[in-house]
Amino acid sequence: MSEAAIRITGMNKYYGKFQVLRDINLDVRSGERIVVCGPSGSGKSTLIRCINRLEEHQQGRIDVLGTELNDDIGNIDHIRRDVGMVFQHFNLFPHLTVLENCTLAPTLARKVPVEEAEATAMTYLKRVRIPEQALKFPGQLSGGQQQRVAIARALCMKPKILLFDEPTSALDPEMIKEVLDVMVELANDGMTMLCVTHEMGFARQVADRVIFMDKGEIVEEGRPAELFDNPKNERTRTFLSQVLSH
Amino acid sequence: MTTVSDVNTHPQPLNTGFQPDGLGARLRRRYFRTPGNAMISLVGMAALLYLVYHALDWAVLKAVWASPDGTSAVCRDIAGACWAVIQQRWRIIIFGLFPYDEQWRSMLACIAMVATIVLSCLPWFWKPLRLSTLWCAGFITFYVLMRGGLFGMRVVMPADWGGLTLTVFFYAAGVLIGMPMAVALALLRRSEMPLVSRMTGALIDGVRSLPLITILFTAALIFPFVLPDWLQGDKIWRVIIGFALFFAAYQAEIIRSGIQSIPVGQEEAAKALGLSYWHRTGRIILPQAFRNALPPTINQLVITFKETSLIVIIGFFDILASGNAAYGTGEWSFAYFEVYIFVALVYFVFVFSLSRYGAYLERRMRFGQH
Ligand SMILES: Nc1ncnc2c1ncn2[C@@H]1O[C@H](COP(=O)(O)OP(=O)(O)OP(=O)(O)O)[C@@H](O)[C@H]1O
Ligand SMILES: [Mg+2]
Repeated sequence: MSEAAIRITGMNKYYGKFQVLRDINLDVRSGERIVVCGPSGSGKSTLIRCINRLEEHQQGRIDVLGTELNDDIGNIDHIRRDVGMVFQHFNLFPHLTVLENCTLAPTLARKVPVEEAEATAMTYLKRVRIPEQALKFPGQLSGGQQQRVAIARALCMKPKILLFDEPTSALDPEMIKEVLDVMVELANDGMTMLCVTHEMGFARQVADRVIFMDKGEIVEEGRPAELFDNPKNERTRTFLSQVLSH
Repeated sequence: MTTVSDVNTHPQPLNTGFQPDGLGARLRRRYFRTPGNAMISLVGMAALLYLVYHALDWAVLKAVWASPDGTSAVCRDIAGACWAVIQQRWRIIIFGLFPYDEQWRSMLACIAMVATIVLSCLPWFWKPLRLSTLWCAGFITFYVLMRGGLFGMRVVMPADWGGLTLTVFFYAAGVLIGMPMAVALALLRRSEMPLVSRMTGALIDGVRSLPLITILFTAALIFPFVLPDWLQGDKIWRVIIGFALFFAAYQAEIIRSGIQSIPVGQEEAAKALGLSYWHRTGRIILPQAFRNALPPTINQLVITFKETSLIVIIGFFDILASGNAAYGTGEWSFAYFEVYIFVALVYFVFVFSLSRYGAYLERRMRFGQH
């Protein structure tokens, strides 16, 4: 259990001359649930997008599931299959049905037979409680339903790690809960999760560790109770007071 | 919709079965709302009726449909259309200079080609295997029938092909070769390697800044001097490839614009699932790009169909050229108008079906179905 699923050491990332991430060091144990928070523009998305190499880092080293991320494209595709991602804007494929969204990657990238992939997809669609929408197109679903499909789509690849980038911040308030409920269940099942979110309730409920970022740095980290109730850093305190005052 | 003026002029009809959207009511409201309005409508309609009557009078009532003796004598001193020229000369228009006794082959080949086009418009065929089988079968059938040399059929060289059959073949082959070229060019132009994308961009812009005629000329007349013998092939293939390249340059930009209108999240989601470049491109990017680019694609296909008439310049006998030949004999030379109307009708049938098919596709894809 203590084997590192993700190990980031001395990582720096730049957009041109602008340094987005500075000296990031982070170990994530397999099975650990981590919540990343911080003000807008602090580099949270960039950090988790580096983990499946949607962004490339310039310095330092990132190891995911024992493989170093570098220019080897074969390696990258391999790792991406084991690292699922859920986006703020769902990014479902609009020209495919819900079921096809869920079976496409398993059949193409994992070469799972179609019937088996469909059975798996239905299992996960049941888990996110929308099996009856399987034959609809994403455009016919509500935001909350779409995000649950996106989670099911990621799960269908049977990933070892799941990354979430503000999965509820594009949703209407009444749909946030249905998505968070699904995420809580996943967390309780022992999925390794890295989640950028401002849902403090969710963080308190499931996170083993909360990471606070500001200006491209990891400013503070700790158990949710410690970090939220007793922040040590001034920047964390300011941020939390702003978030909680809403 | 009941407007104020309706209520004023018909104060009582609300309970007498007055249908606000009946045809009569609609006409009345649109064209006869005020006296001035009614005047203009009446004058306009009278003028229209007069024109239609005259056209009908010429095209139908006073027309001569057939020539019993095969000469143009029946059309002497008539006030209507001389459709007899079509009845006598349609074979030239449709088959060009194809040997008379063998024209059944050209007919079958033309039907095979059109059938292939129509079949590939059916959603059932939209699987790579089915589509490629269909087109291979279509082209082989066409080629065997037209060229002959098998099953005891006389050899007819492409230089003698002509008419509608040639136009349809030329178009189908040009688009079929051009479309994959267009996809390849669009993808290369988006390549992350600057050298590749710049060179592709230069090629596309280069081809687009040349007139089609010069490209066809080059393919037909200049390449034979430049290329080694074994690479030349038949003139018709060189011209088709030039034509395809021209189509591809425009279509590539249409596809690229379709790709650019896809949100970046689509490619990212596909990457995050571990799909390879080819799977992402083939299953996520291109299907959506074609959907986005459907209206300009149909537009380009329509323009391209009409551009086939340029091949006459390098000595091919397409439908327009064989139309000229049909009235070009001294005997029928007065009937060029009728021939052009006939040729225009043929173009119209093709292009109009294509447009309607495009509209059908757009409707079908509104929800995101295949
Ligand atoms: N493609 C890019 N090119 C240049 N700068 C970028 C690019 N993407 C992000 N940035 C910059 O990098 C910084 C970090 O961005 P990032 O999206 O990681 O922030 P974030 O913490 O996720 O913010 P938010 O909460 O608003 O999503 C921001 O200042 C942003 O302007
Ligand atoms: Mg972000």
